[in-house]
Amino acid sequence: MGKKAILLSAVLTSLLGAGFVGYKHAKAQDQELSPEEEIRLVQEFNRMLAEGINPGEIWAEMGKEAFKKYNLDKCDFGLGPGKIEGALAQLPRYFPDAKKVMDLETRIGWCLQQYAGMTPDQVKKFAKECWGKRQCMGEYDAIVMYISMASNGYKINVNLKDPQVKRMYEIGKRIYYTRLGPWDFNCATCHAGQKEARIRATRLWSADRPGEAGKAVSIFPKYLVRWSQPMTMHYRYAECIRQMRWPTFEPHSDLAVALSTFLYATGNGTEIKVPGIGR
Amino acid sequence: MRKRVLIASLLIAGLPLIAVSKQKQKESVKEEEVMAVLKSGLDQDPRFAWKLNQDESQKICSKYPSREAMPAKEIQRVMELEAKNIKYPQWGIYWGDWNEGKKLVNSSRGGRFATYGFSDKPTDKGGNCYACHLIEKGVPGGTMGPQLTGYGKRYGITKENMNTPEGLEKLKTVYNIIYNAWSLYPCSSMPRFGYHGALTPEDIINIATFLLHPDSPVNK
Repeated sequence: MGKKAILLSAVLTSLLGAGFVGYKHAKAQDQELSPEEEIRLVQEFNRMLAEGINPGEIWAEMGKEAFKKYNLDKCDFGLGPGKIEGALAQLPRYFPDAKKVMDLETRIGWCLQQYAGMTPDQVKKFAKECWGKRQCMGEYDAIVMYISMASNGYKINVNLKDPQVKRMYEIGKRIYYTRLGPWDFNCATCHAGQKEARIRATRLWSADRPGEAGKAVSIFPKYLVRWSQPMTMHYRYAECIRQMRWPTFEPHSDLAVALSTFLYATGNGTEIKVPGIGR
Repeated sequence: MRKRVLIASLLIAGLPLIAVSKQKQKESVKEEEVMAVLKSGLDQDPRFAWKLNQDESQKICSKYPSREAMPAKEIQRVMELEAKNIKYPQWGIYWGDWNEGKKLVNSSRGGRFATYGFSDKPTDKGGNCYACHLIEKGVPGGTMGPQLTGYGKRYGITKENMNTPEGLEKLKTVYNIIYNAWSLYPCSSMPRFGYHGALTPEDIINIATFLLHPDSPVNK
């Protein structure tokens, strides 16, 4: 208990610290950073890494409570009701009860409807509670963090021998290369090719360079120092799609599942290390 | 002998594999299915439905992972389609205001729209050029596109020749790239800013002026 309290206070202190670093004027998350803010942020990020602090872990504590509160112990994530150790590693997979391939977040959304009595709209609102915010502690993000962390140390193992999963993988791959929208982007515009490229100061991972897709997905949810809150995989998709100027992304959709199936299967064999931490 | 047996057995084992892989290729997903899944995950607001209509060039570009993988015929087709999609300012090609161009180059807000807590208006303008290009000395930029530092200088534009037919021709080439990058570089990462209406012809003239004008900080 004492250890836990120390951890919590350390995490809270760093949360407040992170919130203070820069951003007096930057409210919307699409603001480009000034070089000074960028440097301060990198220093803060490195300090946290050196001290072994990942403020994202505090969400897991909260998620443990929320997991019970919303009856998710009745939810089968592919290994039996309530069993979450290693569950993320074998997702996305086909679920006969829903007759659909689902990734972790889509499955959580489905179970919230089945066991917590939420309507589809309520589930979406719940999932999007912290989108576009800073220092937001949402129960949904906490649940995703708690379940994901239970798979730490497991290796991603998406079963492509299942024809339903394979089909979602193929669709996801095609979507990855679909040029669309008023700015002609696809996922591959930024995340493909052998040549290493940067967007402003951010180095981009590429699906074509071995191991990089796995490295990118195996650390989600990822704590972002610049927002002082974690970002789930579906929020990450939403951010990418917003930058691509496509219409707003809907969490728990087949689009999300197709992308997850393609990305996680490409990352097969990578060890899960949640939460990740980033600028 | 042993080697020959091994090769023969490999061949026999390989035959059904080839048959299976051919069958699998036939079963691969259909275009309509891909688009249906894609659309299932995006806001269905009818005001933005136009964003999901793929034009012919986008369809061609979607088929290949990179331009290197594209057959010459398809590259030519996109260039032909896109060359027709360029419009010029009312008064033809002229040197614009590089200060205005600089603002548009800097802004990352153009064309963004999301309903979850962001205040981006669809009317916000800008090319976010620094995301992919290094432009002014000392300003951090991306490396996805070519470096544009000293672009005008490198392109041989001076105070003396900028208003000659050759100078204006060079300005026009850069205008064409910004207006419709695919007319010169089919399926490249660069958006077709003018074709989609994200930037007006006047905006594009101003950006081209910012990149090329001898007085612009890009060429200092």
